[in-house]
Amino acid sequence: MDLQTLQSFEWGIMTPEFTILIAGILLSLLDLFGRERWKKYLPWLAVISIGIAILFLGNQAGHQDVSILYDTYIFDPFSFYFKFILLLGSFLIYLMILSRTTNHEIEDRGEYVYLLLAALLGTMVMASSGDIITLFVGLELLSISSYIMVGLRKNNLHSNEGAMKYVINGGIATAFTLFGMSYVYGISGSTKLVDISREMSGSLGSGEPVAIIGFIILFIGLGFKISTVPFHMWAPDVYQGAATPVSAFLSVISKAAGFMIIIRLFWDIFHSIGVAAENDALFEAIFGFVATVSILTMVIGNIVALRQRNMKRLLAYSSIGHAGYILIPLVSLTPMSLENIWFYLLAYVFMTIGAFMVIYILEQAKKSEDISIFSGLFKESPLLAVAMTIFLASLAGIPGTAGFIGKLNILIGAVIANPAQYLLAGIMALMTVVSYIYYFSIFVQMFIREPEEERITNISGLQWTPLILCVLGTIGLGIFPFIALNFFS
Amino acid sequence: MIEFVWLIPTLPLLTFILLTILRDKVNQTGSYMAICLTGMAFILSVLVFIQLIDAGTAVQEWEWITIGSIQISFGTLLNPLNGLMLILVAFISLLIHIYSLGYMERDQRMTTFFAYLSLFTAAMLGLVISPNLLQFYVFWELVGLGSFLLIGFYYYKNSAKNAAQKAFIMTRVGDMGLLIGLILLFWQTGSLQFEAIFSAITGGDVEGSMLTLIAILIFIGAIGKSGQFPLHTWLPDAMEGPTPVSALIHAATMVAAGVYLVAVMYPLYMASTTALMVVTVVGGFTAIYAASIGLVQNDIKQVLAYSTISQLGFMMLAMGTLGYTAGVFHLFTHAFFKALLFLAAGVVIHAIHTQNIKQMGGLHQRLKLTSITFAIGALAISGFPLFSGFFSKEEILSAVWADGQYGLWLVALVAAFLTSLYMFRLYFLVFHGESKQRLDQIGLVPKTMKIPMSILAVFSIFSGFFNTSWFGSYLGDWLIGDNQMLTNTHHGSSIGVMLIASIISIGGIILAYMIYVKKSFDQTSLQSSFSGTYKLLANKFFMDEFYHTSFVKGAKGVGKIFVYVERYGVGFLLAFIREMLTTLSKSGSKTQTGQTQTYAAVAFLGMVLFTAIYILKGGY
Repeated sequence: MDLQTLQSFEWGIMTPEFTILIAGILLSLLDLFGRERWKKYLPWLAVISIGIAILFLGNQAGHQDVSILYDTYIFDPFSFYFKFILLLGSFLIYLMILSRTTNHEIEDRGEYVYLLLAALLGTMVMASSGDIITLFVGLELLSISSYIMVGLRKNNLHSNEGAMKYVINGGIATAFTLFGMSYVYGISGSTKLVDISREMSGSLGSGEPVAIIGFIILFIGLGFKISTVPFHMWAPDVYQGAATPVSAFLSVISKAAGFMIIIRLFWDIFHSIGVAAENDALFEAIFGFVATVSILTMVIGNIVALRQRNMKRLLAYSSIGHAGYILIPLVSLTPMSLENIWFYLLAYVFMTIGAFMVIYILEQAKKSEDISIFSGLFKESPLLAVAMTIFLASLAGIPGTAGFIGKLNILIGAVIANPAQYLLAGIMALMTVVSYIYYFSIFVQMFIREPEEERITNISGLQWTPLILCVLGTIGLGIFPFIALNFFS
Repeated sequence: MIEFVWLIPTLPLLTFILLTILRDKVNQTGSYMAICLTGMAFILSVLVFIQLIDAGTAVQEWEWITIGSIQISFGTLLNPLNGLMLILVAFISLLIHIYSLGYMERDQRMTTFFAYLSLFTAAMLGLVISPNLLQFYVFWELVGLGSFLLIGFYYYKNSAKNAAQKAFIMTRVGDMGLLIGLILLFWQTGSLQFEAIFSAITGGDVEGSMLTLIAILIFIGAIGKSGQFPLHTWLPDAMEGPTPVSALIHAATMVAAGVYLVAVMYPLYMASTTALMVVTVVGGFTAIYAASIGLVQNDIKQVLAYSTISQLGFMMLAMGTLGYTAGVFHLFTHAFFKALLFLAAGVVIHAIHTQNIKQMGGLHQRLKLTSITFAIGALAISGFPLFSGFFSKEEILSAVWADGQYGLWLVALVAAFLTSLYMFRLYFLVFHGESKQRLDQIGLVPKTMKIPMSILAVFSIFSGFFNTSWFGSYLGDWLIGDNQMLTNTHHGSSIGVMLIASIISIGGIILAYMIYVKKSFDQTSLQSSFSGTYKLLANKFFMDEFYHTSFVKGAKGVGKIFVYVERYGVGFLLAFIREMLTTLSKSGSKTQTGQTQTYAAVAFLGMVLFTAIYILKGGY
């Protein structure tokens, strides 16, 4: 390709990515060569750069679909809306990082800050790529940055262990992913999603067992990122080991990215096919498989969560359960499925980051991650307890919160799908009841236990900022969901 | 006025917010504020009600969510049923607020109590004016939350904590039924507005079996909330909450919401005979089941709790046998006399600090007003002629008879007999006979507690006259109105049923009197001093003996059996579910060995299994 072709591409659609890239490079340079006293301003720079990226992204609203670099990089409504979630979530996580009070755990703040930016860039690339190779590059950029972030608490044994497990499991997952991709490439002869889709809709997709095996293996590999069965076991160990903002990142952004890549691969390829008669076998096999994974994930995540006492492990299992819920719209293909997934992820951003933020505050004050840090919280700090109640209520799906609307949308989608997914809806409802039990145990700690000795001294404005934003998001989307839903459509 | 109906739930909500924010700054003033705002809500609902009598229905709606092409709105809907519930809830709430002022006097967390109470009131008021199922569901969950907070109010008591948890999770099981039913209904009719749903159902847009499924799923929600068998065990446990709470939430309002739900969705039930049958059977069984358990309980609040379950069963029975008016009417009268009974029980507990009726007795001397009002409540619930319960219960019996369910009619009759028996057992054991405690220490009952009780007593006597076959069935006519969908419901009563109901009621009372009053008389004083008279009386008492062995022993035996069913049947089922969850959870955690090898092995195995299954299944 010569310079002219290169210039003819509409690079403007990549402005958000460029912003993050430049900020990442700038921050790493500042960290290397800058003065020591500048370093504490690095997260602020990151926050500003994400803000700018959001502005750029906002500017692209309603822009027509564009693809550059020979269809490998595309801008479409899907990438626009999901990038919005990624940037918003990262913004909140940076606010969380900024609120840190103790400094002993991670000395090098800089690394932490720009690694997160690199991971964010990876997720954004995943959102926009139209080619398996680009998808994979984005995925690995995210993975490798995350491995390091998990291991950043150098002096913490759990962290070392978690990072090690993350790398090994991640490696295996990558191998799966690549293996599956090679099958897909092998039968379709292309790495471009558009081409694969076309090939699959033809007769090739129908009678080809290799296609089924390829997609199943690919899905299992990608399931690592969204922590679905059988690739869910790393999540509790890794969440426990990582610093809390990193756990939040893994639980929210990394998971959202995982869903994006799955949607790109499976939705784009299969939805454009529709339920074409000749493709029934492939179609049914794949979605039957996804339904099974969804059921197993919901059941295992929610049931094992019942016995957890470490808060981060508990949230890890709960997030496994949530991944199971989010897979349901993927199985029940209706016109609203994408909207439902998007809304659930948006709600999930607010409620999960909010819950992690409360844990982060308490963990720094009380030097523990056990569920008992919540005991008597309502007496110590009523507002904090109320905030946590809102997040948990939303995670549990109690009306008035974003989580309820999300769950309602998914259930409606499952029931009105053709064929209707009663089994999935039923299990989701059942598991929601189970999840009440463990969320409830936190309510019990907060409201009906006496506080322990160590008290929370005071909560700074910096700590309140992300909390208030999350509370507003959770309640706001619960009462005025049409704001987000109108935005999406 | 009617356009300001949204203000009614907003006022108590405002109280909740204010009391939560100013928690540490207001003490007594906070509770006065709560009472004032609830009072305003009540006045407003009276004004609204007066206008509603002329208007018939009133709807207000605003847009809320748009999913695809479907719009869901929020707003208010007033029709005769909703208007009745609105004024009822506002009225009882106000009385309970006033009563709590005296009852919770010495509690340090009085402000918190009033905050929770206001939250509940707001949610309940919001519930009864919902124009669509989604909004209904939101408030439905909110009342559950309020109930949970109030059951667990004495959080330092382990039993209260467990009861709160049990109530929260068990009612959630029902709620999930409701939620799925709601979603199915939405899918079938394309709307959540009650109006649209009903016109779709009556228009025959929904297939028969689907209709039945939806109706039963929604009824599961009602079972959970109204404590019907087998989801009833949370309700007796919920008595761990403060007594005013038991009166308001677990007797008069929230638990009746299940019956209200069936009433709201009545066109749905009328379209499916199977669903109606389910409602009938569950209601009838619960009525007699809980009544016989109530006979062998020794905790004053437990007796009342089982009595509530049983009365709710009566209402469901009426609903199931097309006795729409009868069910709603009984809901209406029950709210007064059951709240009254709980409030009187509250005075007793407040005075002698025990709930065990074996340790009570002779309280009539010290607690005159309480004793009288309790007796009024007991007479009303027993269906003593001319008291409110008489008219409503008689209407239920007529409805069951008219529907041709003669077996269930007998069941209902026996349950009614048991009701007056256990109720007067309670009354005589608590207020009459020898006192087993020092009564001189009982202090004066504050006015704030006396006044609400007196008002409720008046209503317990006279509220039945709103709907009688003698003076006119105002309530029934108004409820049915010109509503096309309810024209097939039964309405009215017969002299025969009225006569039988009276005999049953009075019979139960007399039997209770003979067993629990005369007999104690007999055993203690008569036997020693008047041995001659004793023999004479003994012959007369032979009848008692006969009754006692045949009837009471029999009924008590059944009650005991049901207690075992409760403990070992239902309890076992619950324990089984709990154990299963813990075991699964345990074994799930065990696979989480912490070893990376295991994780990788699971992933590999999973992949192999999945691909193998799909290759085999696909026949490849």
